[in-house]
Amino acid sequence: MPIIRQDGAVAARAEAPAPTGTFEQRRRRVGLFFVGPALIALALILGYPIVRSLLMGMQNVHLAGGHIKLHWIGWANYDYLFQDSGFLLALRNTILFSFGEVALVCLLGLGAALLLNHRFGRFGILRVFLIIPWAIAPVANAVLWKWILNANYGVLNAILKSLGLIDHYVVWLGSPMRALSLLLIVDVWKSVPFIALLFLAGLQRIPKILYRAAKLDGANAWNQFRFVTMPGLRTTIAIAVVLQTIWSLRVFDLVFVLTHGGPADGTVLLNFLAYRVTFNFLNLGRGAAIANIIFAMSFVLAILYVWLLQPRRRLSS
Amino acid sequence: MRRASIGARLADAGVLVGLIVFAVWSIAPMVWLVLSSLLPQLSLIAQPPQIGLTNWTLSNYLAVFGSAAALGQGIINSFVVASFTTAVALGLGAPAAYALARLSVPKSGAVVLLILATQMLPAIAVAIPLFVIISRLGLIDTRLSLIIVYLSFNLPIVIWILRGFFLGIPLGLERAAAVDGAGLIRTFWLIVLPISVPPLCAAAVFAFIESWNEFFFALILTRQNAQTVPLVISAFAGQYQTVFGQMMAAAVISIAPVIVLAILFRNHIVRGFADGMLKG
Repeated sequence: MPIIRQDGAVAARAEAPAPTGTFEQRRRRVGLFFVGPALIALALILGYPIVRSLLMGMQNVHLAGGHIKLHWIGWANYDYLFQDSGFLLALRNTILFSFGEVALVCLLGLGAALLLNHRFGRFGILRVFLIIPWAIAPVANAVLWKWILNANYGVLNAILKSLGLIDHYVVWLGSPMRALSLLLIVDVWKSVPFIALLFLAGLQRIPKILYRAAKLDGANAWNQFRFVTMPGLRTTIAIAVVLQTIWSLRVFDLVFVLTHGGPADGTVLLNFLAYRVTFNFLNLGRGAAIANIIFAMSFVLAILYVWLLQPRRRLSS
Repeated sequence: MRRASIGARLADAGVLVGLIVFAVWSIAPMVWLVLSSLLPQLSLIAQPPQIGLTNWTLSNYLAVFGSAAALGQGIINSFVVASFTTAVALGLGAPAAYALARLSVPKSGAVVLLILATQMLPAIAVAIPLFVIISRLGLIDTRLSLIIVYLSFNLPIVIWILRGFFLGIPLGLERAAAVDGAGLIRTFWLIVLPISVPPLCAAAVFAFIESWNEFFFALILTRQNAQTVPLVISAFAGQYQTVFGQMMAAAVISIAPVIVLAILFRNHIVRGFADGMLKG
């Protein structure tokens, strides 16, 4: 029928994309289509390597003429590690480093957040100061501090000497314990801003009305902090501690550039040891075993983190 | 106005002092970084260093660009790797985030937690097998290998940031689109994405900065051709560690792009990430 052909064409076009199935079925189909590629990508670049890493931890891996030979050796890599003084030293260093770093970062971060939440602390320029240490590359940070801490020409020695705090220049990275402490301080400098921002976000989630109620009840500044701020921040503090612990286990660039593990392996952290065993000593199985130990620690902490988020989820939904 | 007691004034003074100490502590190392990059070697090795304005020079920057061709190549590599991995992460991550926020995905609660948990993963946990696989594929020292591997940390964070945003869009907008006969894909493409430009930018900036700064994977997966900026800086610091001014000039050049991005997008980054880490 030629007369209504034009209308028919329009109607057909409007109906063409009309999908089949109920709305719920379409939501499921499109949902799968949207989420599928990302999940496949993550399975390939994260899921598969994790499984391989867990297996390699139980293997002896030989690199011979460009070929890789694998032998099953059960728990032998782990047995070796827990009797190896190098591993135990790295484990000790990591524990010292992580505890110290997390405690300092969280305390300073909380202090900074409280200051920034004060009416004097709301200048935009302070936020700029916060974001810069966070954004710079850990490698650039390490190079900068290597220069600041330089034993002969470093500015730290120059300042301390002109203030009369030291008599002669100090070799800051010269002894194991001092090097580890300085590594810690440099990492704290870079990590505080982000945790401060996290605490600031937590502070701003505390309803203002609680403070007004506390004031009506005659609470002074300290009591407001003690009975409103601290309880309101409890979950945020727990999350900050867990996240910062996970991040402290990842520190690598700083060790690589600033001390390369020295002096006397005093700054070898587990992460750096796994790298050295794998890529310098080419013992891939044992390196994977160390990596798996770090993975297990992070995994437990990640579960703790997800668990900490739960009550909030229930509140918000 | 309430009368300010002595105690309140003291508290205010304390806050002010605290803020000044905090600002100086945060910024002093950066000031010294830029200042050293502007001073000639002789002023730097003087005891104490001569930092007077008359000594300032750009010679370190000229020398770095003259002598270290690797730095130019590194900047190009970093730019290519960071841009491509960010683009792919957004392309895969935005639809996935939308599906997890609004569409129906089987076991979506578990998937969300899994994606959150992968952000906690230390790089070393996947690095050794990835190194073996990439060696077998013959992709060592290629930018492609870095683009792929960087998705491992960029994709989860992009999904996380965007899902948080999509959950906050009022449902009415999508309902109106559905009433007007738009399919789910068209609604996402024509309604949701255009109003999501700010969070998309935040996620992109975040992924770009993380990729630009990444060192560990670049260390094990590149040799020479595909070396990114952090590797060039690290090698430079080892090789020319007594040429302090040039070392600092190279560091300044390497961090300048991400500092500018971070300052421009600081509010988005804070809202997208700091807040995102506090909500499930």
